[in-house]
Amino acid sequence: MTAREKIFSALSAALDPLPERAPRPEVPHGVADAKWLASCPDVISLFSERLQEAGTACFESPEDLAAWMASQRPKQIFVPPEYDDLAATLSVAGGVTREYRRDRVNEIDATLTVAAGGIAESGSIVLTDKTSPDRLAALAPWIHVALVRRETVYRSIADALDALPDDPNIIWVTGPSKTADVEGILIQGVHGPGVQACLIC
Amino acid sequence: MAKQLIDTFARRLPDDIRTAVHDNSAAGTAARYRALGDDYDDYDSLRRLAGAIRQHSIENLDHYLAQAEESLVRNGAKVHFAVTAGDACRTVSDILQRAGVRSVVKSKSMVSEEIHLNAHLTAEGIESVETDLGEYIIQIDGDHPSHIVKPIIHKNRRDIARSFEREGLGDYNDDPAVITRRAREFLRGKYLAAGAGITGANFVVADSGRLVIVTNEGNSRFCLAAAPVHIAIVGIEKVIPSDADLAVLLNLLGRSATGQQLTVYTEFVSGPAPAECSSGPREMHVVFVDNRRTEVLASNCREILRCIRCGACLNVCPVYRQSSGHAYRSIYPGPVGAVLSPLLAGDKFKELADLPKASTLCGACHEVCPVDIPIPDLLLRLRDKAHREHIPSPGTPPMGGFAVMGSHPLVWRAAMNFGAAKDYVPMLDKLPIPYLGAWLKTRTLPPWRGGKFRAWMKSRADRKKEEHP
Repeated sequence: MTAREKIFSALSAALDPLPERAPRPEVPHGVADAKWLASCPDVISLFSERLQEAGTACFESPEDLAAWMASQRPKQIFVPPEYDDLAATLSVAGGVTREYRRDRVNEIDATLTVAAGGIAESGSIVLTDKTSPDRLAALAPWIHVALVRRETVYRSIADALDALPDDPNIIWVTGPSKTADVEGILIQGVHGPGVQACLIC
Repeated sequence: MAKQLIDTFARRLPDDIRTAVHDNSAAGTAARYRALGDDYDDYDSLRRLAGAIRQHSIENLDHYLAQAEESLVRNGAKVHFAVTAGDACRTVSDILQRAGVRSVVKSKSMVSEEIHLNAHLTAEGIESVETDLGEYIIQIDGDHPSHIVKPIIHKNRRDIARSFEREGLGDYNDDPAVITRRAREFLRGKYLAAGAGITGANFVVADSGRLVIVTNEGNSRFCLAAAPVHIAIVGIEKVIPSDADLAVLLNLLGRSATGQQLTVYTEFVSGPAPAECSSGPREMHVVFVDNRRTEVLASNCREILRCIRCGACLNVCPVYRQSSGHAYRSIYPGPVGAVLSPLLAGDKFKELADLPKASTLCGACHEVCPVDIPIPDLLLRLRDKAHREHIPSPGTPPMGGFAVMGSHPLVWRAAMNFGAAKDYVPMLDKLPIPYLGAWLKTRTLPPWRGGKFRAWMKSRADRKKEEHP
């Protein structure tokens, strides 16, 4: 017998004697929405508020973003090839590079990703392979800026789950990378970005 | 007086560790309470719904596991099954050897601890580096995690600074920010050099074939960005029916574990990285591990398989807070561990049979459980199992006398009538009656009120007769 056959026959042996099996409960859409969500009329202002509560700075104009970026003093900013206008705007803040290479992981300390969407309820940025195909470029730099189009912002976590794209690697990013392993003290920037911003456009 | 093994461990626990564990768990409970209270009016019905989803999932595991396998294969992953811990370890090392991998990076996975994967890989000459900060510190110290979510809850920053100094990660510095930055720099090199990334999974969705992995540090994400091969090791009970069920489970998991609405990274991984991706694993393997889970499913404690490993029951448990995780002598500590560990121990059940007794049955673990596991009931079922298997229970007072009283009404009546005599015995706690002294050291007995119930019952019956002849 293969391991697979052994496991499935043990499952049958365990489950077949049950007089009945627990039925599948109905999960109404939005049953686990936060109670305050219903009273928030504007999705974008909620998204912006929740982003900031999660520790992600939020901007609505490229110039504001560039000014913030300058204050972070990055050495090299990676901007994906097709975003020439943004590359020009951000170049006031630091050197801009259009190519991300594995051997430059420690040189490039800021990165721009194009998000597949956002979640207002949790202040999350949705990244996928389709929209930000270099996984390392999206994660390794200290500063991460995501570009989110306003029409792609979901109201709730449940809405975002209903519309999960067909992509092998979907990541909801809610704030900068963090840990509280040492004495419960919160430290940002463990393996991923220590500083994060979002440009809503 | 004879002691249960867990008591012996708890008694040896140094005060500073006890304080650290107590305070950090209490803070976890407070954060959980705030997060749920701010966002929900009726959290109870939500966790009952989550419990129903998980109970349905495990009672239909034959169906959902097969469906998950089919979906994962469709998505381009290779699926493996392992009956025992040894099988699971060999499956992983075979995959690595076929791919010619000599070093791997690992993100936190309880099942990989359960099967002792790191020891196996080291023996096979494969370097395996833990990348979760807490787990990395556990690894360099040759220690064991003492909490499911906060593995180094028992260590302070000075311990960690000394370990880093010993490992050549800079001079002694106990600033948590410096410790974290040094780990970041060191582990980065490991990620980039690794031939494979090993992760666990918090959920496996049967119909879409997605693995859901949650972390705060981003280490599992880094494993899936830098390494060319991904191996996920998953307990078979992690399967759930569909993505929509995650709306309930994810919303409860983060809040229950750390008081966060969502953890920083929630990853949905459904297959290898596509060709147009410039980084990420081209090969994805999922190893489903049984390791006695089917035995638990066949037992009268199958509800424990609902567990989503949030650690809320550890944080709230008065016994865990006083004894710390190592006292449970197994991978899973706290109330969930007191149920799961003896069950997963198989024929070594006897060695962990004291764990289900280490509870006052106060019920706090059931009350906080996001999937509504009736842990106190399960503890009682395991106590019963130990009793039926005649496993000795040191420290348990002899109950023979009580059994005689309880089954002989005349003896009981006499005892109740004469019990009042104890009010006139001076220094009751000094009497050479085993267990009584220890019990009375921290308690005062109320005045005797026994024997009055029968008289009350009798007079009530008489009155009724008078009223309704």
